[in-house]
Amino acid sequence: MKSKILLLLIVIHFVINAQTKISKSHSYQQLNCSTCHSCQIPTKENPCLRACPRESMIRIDQKPEEGPRILTINKIKETDIYEPVIFSHLAHAEMAEISGGCRTCHHYNPPGNVIACSECHGLQRKREDVSKPDLKGAFHRQCMNCHRAWSGNTDCLVCHQLKGKGKLVSQNKELIVKRIHPEIKAPNKITYTTNATAGKQVTFYHNEHVNLFNYECGDCHKNDNCVKCHSKINTVSTSKKSTKELHNKCSNCHDTNSKVNCSFCHSEKEKGPFNHLVRTGFDITKFHSKLSCSRCHTTKNKFSGLSNECSFCHGKWSWDNFNHKITGFILDETHGELECNSCHKEPTYSKLDCSDCHEDKSYPKDKPGRLIKRL
Amino acid sequence: MVNESRRKFLKLTALIGASITGLSPRKLKAAPKNILDKNRMGVLVDTTACIGCRKCEWACKVAHNLPTLPLESYDDRSVFRNMRRPDDKALTVVNEYPAKRQEEFPINVKIQCMHCDHPACVSACIVGAFSKEEIGAVVWDTKKCIGCRYCMVACPFQIPAFEFNKAIQPEIRKCDFCFQRTKEGKLPACVEICPMEALTYGKREELVKIAHEKIKLYPERYINHVYGEYEVGGTSWMYLANRDFVELQFPKLGKNPAPGVTEAIQHGIFAYFVPPVALYALLGVVMWINKNRKKTVEAE
Repeated sequence: MKSKILLLLIVIHFVINAQTKISKSHSYQQLNCSTCHSCQIPTKENPCLRACPRESMIRIDQKPEEGPRILTINKIKETDIYEPVIFSHLAHAEMAEISGGCRTCHHYNPPGNVIACSECHGLQRKREDVSKPDLKGAFHRQCMNCHRAWSGNTDCLVCHQLKGKGKLVSQNKELIVKRIHPEIKAPNKITYTTNATAGKQVTFYHNEHVNLFNYECGDCHKNDNCVKCHSKINTVSTSKKSTKELHNKCSNCHDTNSKVNCSFCHSEKEKGPFNHLVRTGFDITKFHSKLSCSRCHTTKNKFSGLSNECSFCHGKWSWDNFNHKITGFILDETHGELECNSCHKEPTYSKLDCSDCHEDKSYPKDKPGRLIKRL
Repeated sequence: MVNESRRKFLKLTALIGASITGLSPRKLKAAPKNILDKNRMGVLVDTTACIGCRKCEWACKVAHNLPTLPLESYDDRSVFRNMRRPDDKALTVVNEYPAKRQEEFPINVKIQCMHCDHPACVSACIVGAFSKEEIGAVVWDTKKCIGCRYCMVACPFQIPAFEFNKAIQPEIRKCDFCFQRTKEGKLPACVEICPMEALTYGKREELVKIAHEKIKLYPERYINHVYGEYEVGGTSWMYLANRDFVELQFPKLGKNPAPGVTEAIQHGIFAYFVPPVALYALLGVVMWINKNRKKTVEAE
């Protein structure tokens, strides 16, 4: 009997373990079963996996530098008109960072490794399974989708080079290795004129978000289209976008849903740059100006939730961890014996009240008057 | 006496003729060669993938021995300023429809014979030169063709073209789904050359499934309509698009096969030898009136 129970326990243990293993890797992908499985009850023997697309289950979010710098595309050899295509993977990966990441192109990747296009897309155009394009079609569709969008051009010679013409492939490689996306000149300030009834102006300080608040490009620019920057007519119409779509840009960090906070961004005239005192009521120019933001705002991209009480960051001040001299008031023996809150009535330590002991005179304008009472 | 025997002969021939032709329409409908094969091939044209490179136009001309300019000349996109139609010199053409919004692409649509499952041209051809082949192609026998051009009138897509500028032996020309090439196991020329594989060649049944799968997966990319799935009873060439097909100058057609309409009219008129009998009857009446008039004149 005991051995049976033991056996049962072992079996249960394995079953649960196995399940949690699968469910763990599955659940953090937050997928609908039917995204990947075509049947109702997939089994290990017959997982009935759909081929494409499984964009949402891609688990490769590498940095552009982690991928290859250049790729030589020479698998398709049916025509001998063109030289192999030298593809600058780095330049494209860098651009993809602000337009959807790796999955912009790598639309199917099981967790773990990056697989080559040719793993799924075969070389033969005449084939049995025509549910996905062949390699030539897949490559062209991938490239043309963006290239067409930003240049409006479908010229083959943008990517291809005719055989025997122009530079040698080896030379070309060197050139393309060097070719990366030029540094994007980010604007300092953008002023939006909105349709809002109150507060038509929204002033967005781009430089502050980047330099002061340390946001990476990809934190905000997630699904930017190439056309946004590369376009024949360099305007992007925002008129057709709904209020929600327009707010989406900011709603990652700012609360755009409540009607109370509108004035945070919206105002009748242009807003000034960021000022810690105006925005939060806490002046950092006096003592905290040399600190980096992250010294106090320790969680990345989260700035709220801090109290302006000194003890919030500094804890309890004592003789050991605080030199009162830097405030301009040396604590002599008499004063040193006092509790902090005997003089500092407020938790911000900004105001000083000497009236408990001294004749009322406002310090630091006047020196405190004569002693009226000893604490 | 002589008159009587002639009348009898006429009556007899009319009767025989009526009985033969009266039966014949049913026989002509759906000629045995044109039974649809389950595995017939088709092409799914994804107009959202087509970039308008017009390489298909070039490949088509080369495959059909039609005179053509070099391939490089096809890069010229100024041809898209006008809407073109396939003709006897170009069996397929690509047109461009401007983008509606800036961030969208222009739509390129390739036109050629749709290779209907129930082709009107096959039904209309009075000499039986046209046929729907097992592989899906609608082809015709130039030797049988008498140049009546009924096929041109019957086609709901106005595809068959006629070599009007040829004085001697002008022929009907249209896309033949590269019948010769596919017989040899090759792909249609246009499908083979398409860099985007915007033209997918496969079994029609499968293509329909793929098309619907695509629509399901990318509902923002395609409208929920596979043109050619049901149009005029289904066609071998089918299209996917991101806007209404009417805007892309596709004819709005019902689900009923075109021959159903043409055959009904044609065979309705000619059923039971009605027109010749009516003609004979009319002539008879005229003759009778004339005879009576003669008699009255003679009597006077």
